[in-house]
Amino acid sequence: MAFGIGGAVGTALSPLPWKLTDDLSIWTQNWPWTPVPPHGEVTQVDSVCTLCPGGCGISVRKVEDRVVKIEGMPGHPVNDGGICLLGASGAQLLYGPSRIEGPLKRVGRRGDGRWQPVSWKAAVAEVAGKLGVLRSGGEPHTLGCLLRSDRGTVPGLFSRLLTVFGSPNLMRMPSIQDTYELTLYQMQGALALPGFDVDNTDFLLSFGSGYIQGWGSPVHMFRAHSRWRNRGGRVVQVEPRLSISAAKADDWLAIKPGTEAALAMGLSHVIITESLYDRDFIENRCRGFESWVDAEGRIQPGFKQRVLNTYTPAKVSEITGIAAADVVRLARDFAKAARPLAICGRGRGRVPGDLGAFMAVHALNALCGSIQRAGGVWAVPEPDYINWFQPEMDKVAATGMQQSRLDGAGGPQYPLARYLTSYLAEIINAGKGYPLKALLVAGDNPAYTLPAGGNVRKALDSIPFIVSFSSFMDETTRMADLVLPNHIYLERLEDVPLAQGFSRPLVQLCKPVTAPQFNTRHSGDVVIDIARALGGSVATAFPWKSYADCLKETLGGNFQKLMRQVYMVGRGTGAPGHNAAFETASGKFEFTNPEFKIRPDYEPIEAEGDAASFPLVLVPYDSMRLASGFVADSPFMVKAVDDTVLKGRDILVEINPQTARKYGLADGAIALLRTPRGKARVKIYHFEGLMPGLVAMPTGLGHSAYDEYIGGKGVNFNRLIGPVQDPVSGLDAAWGIRAKLTRV
Amino acid sequence: MSTADEKSRKAAAQPSGSIPTAEEGPAPADTAGGKVMAFFFIGLAASLFVGWIVFPKLLYSQKKQPIDFNHAMHVQEVDNGCESCHFFRPDGTFTGIPKLDKCLECHEEVQGDSAEESRFVNQYAQKGKEVPWLVYAKQPACVFFSHVAHVRMGKMDCAACHGNIGESQHTRVYEQNRISGYSRDIWGRNISGFKRHTWDSMKMADCAACHKRAGVHQTSVQTGKGACFVCHK
Amino acid sequence: MEAVNRRNRAKKYGMVIDLDKCTGCGSCTVACMAENNIPFRKDESDKLLSIAWLHVYKLTNGKPFPHTDVCYLPRPCMHCEGHHGHSPCVSVCPATATDYDEETGIVSQIYTRCFGCRYCMAACPYHVRLFNWWDPVWPDGMEKMLNPDVSVRMRGVVEKCSFCYHRHQRAMEKAYLEGRRELEEHEYQTACTQACPAGAITFGDLNNPKHAVYRLKKSPRAFRLLERLGTRPKVYYLSSREWVRQAGDNHLQQEKQKI
Repeated sequence: MAFGIGGAVGTALSPLPWKLTDDLSIWTQNWPWTPVPPHGEVTQVDSVCTLCPGGCGISVRKVEDRVVKIEGMPGHPVNDGGICLLGASGAQLLYGPSRIEGPLKRVGRRGDGRWQPVSWKAAVAEVAGKLGVLRSGGEPHTLGCLLRSDRGTVPGLFSRLLTVFGSPNLMRMPSIQDTYELTLYQMQGALALPGFDVDNTDFLLSFGSGYIQGWGSPVHMFRAHSRWRNRGGRVVQVEPRLSISAAKADDWLAIKPGTEAALAMGLSHVIITESLYDRDFIENRCRGFESWVDAEGRIQPGFKQRVLNTYTPAKVSEITGIAAADVVRLARDFAKAARPLAICGRGRGRVPGDLGAFMAVHALNALCGSIQRAGGVWAVPEPDYINWFQPEMDKVAATGMQQSRLDGAGGPQYPLARYLTSYLAEIINAGKGYPLKALLVAGDNPAYTLPAGGNVRKALDSIPFIVSFSSFMDETTRMADLVLPNHIYLERLEDVPLAQGFSRPLVQLCKPVTAPQFNTRHSGDVVIDIARALGGSVATAFPWKSYADCLKETLGGNFQKLMRQVYMVGRGTGAPGHNAAFETASGKFEFTNPEFKIRPDYEPIEAEGDAASFPLVLVPYDSMRLASGFVADSPFMVKAVDDTVLKGRDILVEINPQTARKYGLADGAIALLRTPRGKARVKIYHFEGLMPGLVAMPTGLGHSAYDEYIGGKGVNFNRLIGPVQDPVSGLDAAWGIRAKLTRV
Repeated sequence: MSTADEKSRKAAAQPSGSIPTAEEGPAPADTAGGKVMAFFFIGLAASLFVGWIVFPKLLYSQKKQPIDFNHAMHVQEVDNGCESCHFFRPDGTFTGIPKLDKCLECHEEVQGDSAEESRFVNQYAQKGKEVPWLVYAKQPACVFFSHVAHVRMGKMDCAACHGNIGESQHTRVYEQNRISGYSRDIWGRNISGFKRHTWDSMKMADCAACHKRAGVHQTSVQTGKGACFVCHK
Repeated sequence: MEAVNRRNRAKKYGMVIDLDKCTGCGSCTVACMAENNIPFRKDESDKLLSIAWLHVYKLTNGKPFPHTDVCYLPRPCMHCEGHHGHSPCVSVCPATATDYDEETGIVSQIYTRCFGCRYCMAACPYHVRLFNWWDPVWPDGMEKMLNPDVSVRMRGVVEKCSFCYHRHQRAMEKAYLEGRRELEEHEYQTACTQACPAGAITFGDLNNPKHAVYRLKKSPRAFRLLERLGTRPKVYYLSSREWVRQAGDNHLQQEKQKI
């Protein structure tokens, strides 16, 4: 007892209890299992983001060798310091769990996800071996290659490989670029990219384009939108759904889906009847506005006559559902604006669209003189810095290149199209043409991004040898036989040949901001390795020691300059102006190119499916928070997705409450959505902003590959829709598909 | 426990304790009291011994620095004093303990005849391996400390917080608190927490006292003292 | 030194968000997450449990097709001034884990001090405070992207937007090195302001006539959220749409008609 008291007294007089209490209280604030990021020297490295074709400059913040944050590059002509959420979460892609850590060879059944790591040497030897057999068997044309883009040195190397190998089957992923390029070629004779001088326009008329949902170069469009808000520019959005583009516009015209071209023609009608068009441009710089007599002595109706005969406001109102008075008012406002600009390509522009409609919109621009001038549409010259020597082709290659393309592009039926990638799956599955025996996939994820996803998988399944160059374990890569993972953009050196929709030529250099995290290899190097392993004339076409050497040689003196300043704005920094001749045979802007006789017009493209079994129409919508392209969302982006879009694993589809009531679909109810192409479990979301009779679904969800942060959430829209061919160009022009919703 | 109480009890115990106690016969009342007192003192002495001598020894584990670094010698060799190696980056951040590449500016090869130096060159410099220095002044992860604010704006000496480390010829043993995990330098050498020099301890109370004296950011509405975000992140 | 401190004019950092420019893209949210070490889980669709310091709300005017309208509203912490710095949340914190700094006008949150009673969450009328129901977990390798300027939080504490105060600290360090005690407007900007691709967010000292926010807050388009509560928030919104401005506060039926 006394000992105890003495002990207590002594203890109280010693520092023990007090120090112990203090230390314990500090201990309670220690969470050793939460990471403490180490401090260090902070640096900013400038580069280019290649996660979409927008071409934004980025400034990567590093702490020692860790990439901590990606910010927009201040002063960059495209994004001037701004950044989108995909770009801002690039570090998650760099360090994320879906990265592929080295070359893999499939073991077990296709799609089972069982892999065996192999060395780069063995992997390249395997590809060369498999491809060599095709060449020695005299069927080099059965090699296919799917690329996201066909511009720049890496696609250039793939293209060169296919040429000297002997296959015409190089394919680019579809987008509105296909149709815009054809439009510029038809009407201006230009082999060019479309550029939009959105900085200087004061009236934007958007035919369903998600101008702030990822259309064009997203951040550049955002900045333009803010500039219009500052300077009082006007925006009119024509679309059946109150998208965010529609909500931010000064006016939203809810149009019947698929009838935008009719409205464009109707606006032209008003502009012509009221003589509001740019007389100087039309009379001196255009052809085909008035009717003319052709070589055979027949009278060909001009644009003016066709518009006046067919597209009266009353008629247009009937087709589009927009009041005739609104058509007239819009036409007047548009034509009277100082620098009006009309744009098209629905949503983000994933689907090419029909040529007649694009030409109708382009004709509307022409009427107002908004071609090749400030605030208008510019033909941006193709990047021209790749001037490699002409490779020698051996006999096998020459014979192979004689074969027609498997997708039919450039063939007798669709002579205009360069690529008809959307139909590849249907052609393969129908057993038309010749079978593809090997496929190289680089830069895209066709099993996810192409329409009729089920067909695409079936088609891929029938190809005996698939090589994926993807950095991520995506849907297509899961179906591959061999995976040769590329560095991601933060780890690699590569030219970025364009910024989509930007009004000037822009060449940029993406450079490694950090060392490769894994045993990946630059696809440019791998192509050179494969060519070298194939030997013969294939090898001699690739004399470069490495991809870096090839790039340095290609860019010449500009290489060092680009290493320093990231971007170079090409020739044509000022508006080309009206005075420069158009590149058509006549030197004039052609309303109807006499060579092809394709005209701006409204030809209804029907949604697939019969109205009796599918009373509703399903349309997609794009959101900045969902990357629907070759790269999936980052975990941060999925986190930013609203709970009116995704709830748990369920996707929400929008439906007007009035329509929902008709079918007994309560808000939040689970329903089965059926289209002629597939079915999916969905959750109902009542949205007043959607036209009755429609169902709207977000794109970019429903990944079956990737990790648990990204995959297994919602439904991939591409699985529910199929391509609908534009009879003129052959390109996919599907804007929606008939659908049915039933309660479960 | 009040001190006055103890004193009076001690005073009461003193005389009875001095009377020799017989072991034979029934214990008289004061003999029993004496026993009580003896036990009391044994307890007291034991607990004081434990509290003042044993406890501090047990509380801290002792770790040796990977290299025995001679600050005094280095300060003589370099041109710019402490700031030759511990300097500010252009963005105002402080480098703290230099990284290997800073050492390599001189020590790519062995310079002198010190065994520690050649150990450093062989084990770290030539292998490109960072030295895992133990940081005496390391603060918890929730602390934001700006060296530039104190050294440049506050005109404080390095020694005000770090002591005369620049004059040391050997690295001290690094003592780590087994409970909190922090260096002994944070609480201070003195186990009772009393300080004789400004650098004797680096706890929040030390920062706060100095900030209060100097009137730095005493702008928190709730505490009336320094605003939390001045030092915390 | 005291004299020097008195020279430091009290700042009132605040934000003006132009809802006419905001496109609701969510870049601010993601930039904030990347800057402030915000964790992520496999399912983040329950927004009551999901941690985002800056949440973008979707407002609708509730009218039927085709008169429907939608507006997005990004909502960081309002850093309420309340009554002399007694903002709703700091007034109730029993742990003094949050305080109001008169020098900057910023409401702090100290994670190591917070014991997770969530009283502040109940007190905050803007739902800016969020509770860590779980320990944060980063998939292997992903902890490499963590920002050392911001503490990683742990299970059981409340967190919220700090107006990227660590960026203020970093800017001050640079200024101090250059012998300055005052920051230029551009030197201290929050991550969301910097990232916004539409340039819709403006950040600065509301007391400083040279800062853009000083002018913008006086715009006839300006309003604040729930001003009638007397919280005196330091985040202003601009909108030319009357229904959006009205949505910023609670109004009686007859008031709505008046406006």
